[in-house]
Amino acid sequence: MIEIFNPGWLAIIVDNGRYGYGDIGVPPSSALDNFAYSTLNYLTGNHTDSPVMEVMGRGFAIMFDVDITCAITGAKVSAYINDVPLKSWTSFKATKGSILRVKEVTEGLRYYVGFSGDMVLEKAIESFSTNLECRFGGYKGRPLMKGDIIEFNNVRIEEENAVAERYIPSMNPPHLLRITEGPEIGHFTPNSLKDFLKNHSENTYSVSTKLNRTGIRLEGKPLLFREKVDKSIISEGILPGTIQIPGDGQPIIMLYERSVGGYARIATVARIDIDMLAHLKPKDKVLFQMLGIEQAETLWVKKKRKYLMTYFG
Amino acid sequence: MNLYRYGESGIRIVFGNSIDLETHEKVRRYYYFLKSLRLKEFIDIIPSFNSCVINFNNNAISFENIVSLITERHGELDAIEIPQPAHHEIPVMYGGECGPDMEFVCEYSGLSDNEVIEIHTSVIYTVFTVGFMPGFPYLGTLDKRLYAPRLETPRLKVPEGSVGLAQLQTGIYPFESPAGWRIIGKTDKKLFDYKKEPYSLLQIGDKVRFIKI
Repeated sequence: MIEIFNPGWLAIIVDNGRYGYGDIGVPPSSALDNFAYSTLNYLTGNHTDSPVMEVMGRGFAIMFDVDITCAITGAKVSAYINDVPLKSWTSFKATKGSILRVKEVTEGLRYYVGFSGDMVLEKAIESFSTNLECRFGGYKGRPLMKGDIIEFNNVRIEEENAVAERYIPSMNPPHLLRITEGPEIGHFTPNSLKDFLKNHSENTYSVSTKLNRTGIRLEGKPLLFREKVDKSIISEGILPGTIQIPGDGQPIIMLYERSVGGYARIATVARIDIDMLAHLKPKDKVLFQMLGIEQAETLWVKKKRKYLMTYFG
Repeated sequence: MNLYRYGESGIRIVFGNSIDLETHEKVRRYYYFLKSLRLKEFIDIIPSFNSCVINFNNNAISFENIVSLITERHGELDAIEIPQPAHHEIPVMYGGECGPDMEFVCEYSGLSDNEVIEIHTSVIYTVFTVGFMPGFPYLGTLDKRLYAPRLETPRLKVPEGSVGLAQLQTGIYPFESPAGWRIIGKTDKKLFDYKKEPYSLLQIGDKVRFIKI
């Protein structure tokens, strides 16, 4: 078993998501950085859909009551097991009685902690992911807290394994987010769209403090609606990464916690950049670049190939 | 019906641009049609007031190919079997602590609370869509006399079971949640239970009547 000494700002259990129930309003609640999530399960030798911890902030600490292989991926951290420094994106062995501490997050926002073994947790609606708003899934439907204990089955020591530096994404701002057109892109004036897509520093957006697992609010030059266009739309299905523009013109990037939205959908973050949304922090600068759909697809195919190289060299 | 691409992995099938029962019936028929195709490449199907949005696995199939898999079966649309809508009665405690916006709704409509309750309970509502949060039904159509704008600043928290109004819709919050709708009452009926199927009490197309208790 392991015991949570300190959950950092927020530590929750996630997996690759709760899909198939969008028709009754159930959102995916998946790990926000899918590549970091998948790579973590690769490093720990787990199934590709195993639950892991998604953590924000420094201070995270756990105590091991078992010998087990672990790894940390996602945001780069300065972490120690007892007082020995660890490398991110590299698996390591934790021995019974040792303590893992994350002292600092040096790049990015969310990091993922996984173990070579099966955490004893119950699935809710076919997934281990925590739906924080509705308090189901994960660990008793809530964030991990000091004193929580997680038991394991099938505990293993795996050969140590590392992801080559060149495959670890950069998570530093400014973040260039490539996007494709959304259904309501025509609701905005041509000039304000031009501004939205301008890629130079005086016209960037910055991430506000209004940010959680549901969405990220940006601040910058407000988008202007065309005359005679309703500012809200009749609520409709939305996909993860959709950028909505509410009446005040400031973009909200939707993540994995909503299936329906009522604001104009100006764009969708392209698959190649969607994992970066996990690492947007308050004050980070954000730039947008519009892609044609074929371009977005081609880039994604290339990136997938790179992902496979990460695992198989 | 118009079919559009939405991002890399989305398809929108749009049936109109207003909230009405005729559009709703088309959406509902199409939703059951999509389900009947049992395509493993469908990740999620999200029906709403006037469209179905499909999230498909674009790692497994191209947009063009999945669209032709769908459209080549369009001949089956008219014959598709659609379940009879279930009828539900939802008991509601109106006003007072359960309905902090009852006073506002009375003032805005110029009606007494009894009249508001009378009107709210006299309509058999249709579940146009379930969303925003798990099990939350968007119910229509509200009597025009009860039209109320959303709160300008949403409340940070309303309790599970809160019954609200917004424009010409009424709805029920299945979980404690932030809320921008005008809350006029509360029900003890459980709308969503992750522990047993069907997880959501209400499905698209179901009929709902509120009962004053």
